[in-house]
Amino acid sequence: MQPGLSTKNAPSIWVVAPHFLVGTLVFLIATTMLAFNQDALLDYHISGPVLAIVHLLILGWITTVIFGALYQLIPVIMEVKLYSERLAYITLVSLLSGLIIMVLSFLDFRFQLTLGFEIGGSLVFNAMVLFAVNTFKSAARAEKKSIHGLFIQTSVIYLILTVLMGLFILFNLSYNVLPIPHTTLLAVHSALGLVGWFMMLIIGVASKLMPMFLIVHKTKLAWLKMAFWFLNAGIWMVMINAFFFSFNFYLNLISLAAILMGLLLFLRFNMDVFTRRLRRRLDIGMKLSVVGLSFLALSIIAFILLFFNNGAIPLPGGRMEIIFGVLLLYGFFSGLILGQTYKTLPFIIWLFHYQSMVGKAKVPMPADLYKHKLAEFHLYTFIASLVALITGLAFSIEWLVMIGILLMVITAILYSLNTIGMIFHNKKQLT
Amino acid sequence: MIQKTFNAEETKVRELLKQIPDPEVEVNIVDLGLIYHIRKDDEAKTLEIDMTLSTPGCPVGDTIIQHIQNLLDINYPDFNVSVNLIWEPEWTPDFITPEGREQLY
Repeated sequence: MQPGLSTKNAPSIWVVAPHFLVGTLVFLIATTMLAFNQDALLDYHISGPVLAIVHLLILGWITTVIFGALYQLIPVIMEVKLYSERLAYITLVSLLSGLIIMVLSFLDFRFQLTLGFEIGGSLVFNAMVLFAVNTFKSAARAEKKSIHGLFIQTSVIYLILTVLMGLFILFNLSYNVLPIPHTTLLAVHSALGLVGWFMMLIIGVASKLMPMFLIVHKTKLAWLKMAFWFLNAGIWMVMINAFFFSFNFYLNLISLAAILMGLLLFLRFNMDVFTRRLRRRLDIGMKLSVVGLSFLALSIIAFILLFFNNGAIPLPGGRMEIIFGVLLLYGFFSGLILGQTYKTLPFIIWLFHYQSMVGKAKVPMPADLYKHKLAEFHLYTFIASLVALITGLAFSIEWLVMIGILLMVITAILYSLNTIGMIFHNKKQLT
Repeated sequence: MIQKTFNAEETKVRELLKQIPDPEVEVNIVDLGLIYHIRKDDEAKTLEIDMTLSTPGCPVGDTIIQHIQNLLDINYPDFNVSVNLIWEPEWTPDFITPEGREQLY
C-alpha cells in the first residue's frame, strides 16, 4: 500500500449497507406512524407514541445512518482503517434490538421505569459504548490529528452522556434520587444529544467533506476551533446550571449565546466554503445538504423565539417546541442525511461492484447507481412537506399539517426506493 | 516540480489518461491536475506515471491508480507500466486546467 493512501482502509460494503437499509426502513416506519398520530404534533404533550416516534427517528434513523456513514468516513477523515468491523455488526444488532424493546415499551408508557426500558436502554447504551470503542481505537491509530477528528471524538463522548442522562431520567422518575424536575433533566438530555452528539459530529464530518466535495482549499480552520470551544462551554454551562442553579435564566442566556456563537461560526465556515467553491454546479446530494443547512439557520431562529417567547407569540402551549423540533430533527438532520446518502452510499456500492473492472470494461459512475429523477422529486417533496408542516403548525391548520406529514411519507418512500435500489444494485443493469 | 511540457509520445499517453474520470467530480484526472509526470522510455520499454490525489484520504484513489494501470497495460502491452503516488508538491485547485474548470461549472 502506498503511504497516505486510504483507499485500502475502506470498510466492507457489508458493514455500511445494512446501516443504511435499517435506517431507511425505520425512517419509513416512523413517518408512517406519525401519519397515524398527527395529534402528536398539534396537541403537545409527552406521550408514549410521541416518545416512540422521536426515539425511532433519533436512534433508528438518524443515529443508525450516521453510524454506517461514519464507518465509511472515519477512514477518509482520520486516514486509518476502522478498528473492528465485527464490533460494528455487534453494535448494530445491540442498537436495533434495544430500540425495538424501547419503542414497544414507549407505546405502553406510564411514566415509570419498566423491565422493557431497563433491557432496551441497556442494549442501546451497550451499542453506544461499543461504537465509542470502535471510534477511539480507530482514532488512536491516526498519525495526523485534526480538528475534524477532535469534533468526532468529542461528539462520541456526548453520545454516551446523552444515553446515560436518558436512562437516569427514567430511573429518577421511579426512584426520585435527585429533586430536579424531569423537564429540566430532559432539557439537559436534549442539549447533550442535539448539540453535543449530533451537532459536534455533523460539524466534524461536514467541515472535512464539504470542502472536499466542492473543491476548496485553505479553509478557515480557526473558525472551527473557536466553534469547538464555544459549543463545549455552552453544553457544560447548561449542565451546571441545571444541576446547581435550578436553571437560572441569565446563566441559560449565557449558555445559549455560547452555543449560538458556535453554530454561527460553523455556518460562517460553510458559507466561506460555498462562496469559494470551484465546483459551481451542485449535484443532488449537495443540493439536499445545502437545503438541510438552511433549516439549521431556521432552527436557530425558532429556538431564539422559543427562548424569549414568554407568551408573546400567540401559539398554543408547546407549539414552538414542536416547530423547533420539526425544523431541527426533520429539516436539518434528516435533510443533511438525505443529501449525504448520495455522497457516500453510491461509492461503497460502486467500489464493491466495479473496482476490479475499471480500465478493462466500460463501467458506470457512482452517480449512475441511483435514479436522479426520484432524488430530485424527493428534494421538492421534502421542502414542500416542511413548508406545509411549519405553516400548518404556526397557524393551527390541521389539514395542512396532515398534508405535510403525507409529503414526509412520500419523501421517505422515494428516498427508500433509491437507497434500497442502490443496496440491491444489479451489475447487469448498467454494464 | 510538475512536468509542464510533453513530447509527442508523452502527449499521446496524456490524451489517453483523459479517458479516466475522478468518480466523484466526474472530471478527467489530467484536467484535474493529478498527473505530475509521464516518462516513456522506448528502449527500456518502461512507462512511468507520477500522480497525486486531491487529498490523502481520497476514498477512490486506489481505484484511479488501478484504472491507469489497466488502461496503460492494455494500450502498451510491451511496456512495463508503473504508477507512483506522490504527495510533493501537495495538490491544490490551482493545478486544475482551464478545461477542467469549465467542466466543474
